[in-house]
Amino acid sequence: MLVEHAKNLLGMDDAMHDEYGNAGDPVIARLSCSLQGGEIEVRFTRGSLFERAHGAATAVEQTTCNYGLRPDLNGLANSSGMRVSAVDDTGEVRAIERPDHPFFAGTLYQPQLTTAEGRPHPILAAFVRAACAVR
Amino acid sequence: MSASVSVIIDLPSEQTYHVATLGALRHAGLDTPPRVLRSEEWDGDTSALGTGVVIGPGSPYVDEAAVYEIIRHARETGLPLVGT
Repeated sequence: MLVEHAKNLLGMDDAMHDEYGNAGDPVIARLSCSLQGGEIEVRFTRGSLFERAHGAATAVEQTTCNYGLRPDLNGLANSSGMRVSAVDDTGEVRAIERPDHPFFAGTLYQPQLTTAEGRPHPILAAFVRAACAVR
Repeated sequence: MSASVSVIIDLPSEQTYHVATLGALRHAGLDTPPRVLRSEEWDGDTSALGTGVVIGPGSPYVDEAAVYEIIRHARETGLPLVGT
């Protein structure tokens, strides 16, 4: 989502995801410390979709990611209609959203790893409600 | 709740995160099984994306450009989208 944003809205024609190994400007790059197989605590931006969905300021999430937004490009996630929704304890971006969109959210963690019957993940529940509301 | 949701995911159907993604949508209240599409299977038909799109885990995708096009379409048209 961040690469699409960079390419199509910010004029970064050679924006790319480093995991593909292609030439270009890596917007998504290998993290300095691997998050793979770990828990992270994320802090939600006040007033964000994520804070509203969770009904809380923070959450503990599971992740299997080795890649994230390149730290020197953090400002990219607060541009052209995109907003940072969550950061971790190092200040790195962990979730984004588009406040002016009916529902457009991305996470650098895996909410699907913390759900169970009767215990849906708040952001996925919000997504399903949004998808059901489309006519 | 009923909705026509598509999940873009290249991981095999038995893979842990593929299973977890579909299960999580069910836990979230999605009654209708989503349409699961591999990135290279999408033929550009935006109506096939339904009323909501999940960009599933498991990058790098086989068809990176297709994934970016789906995201662009959702962003520009207001189609609900979540990426994990």
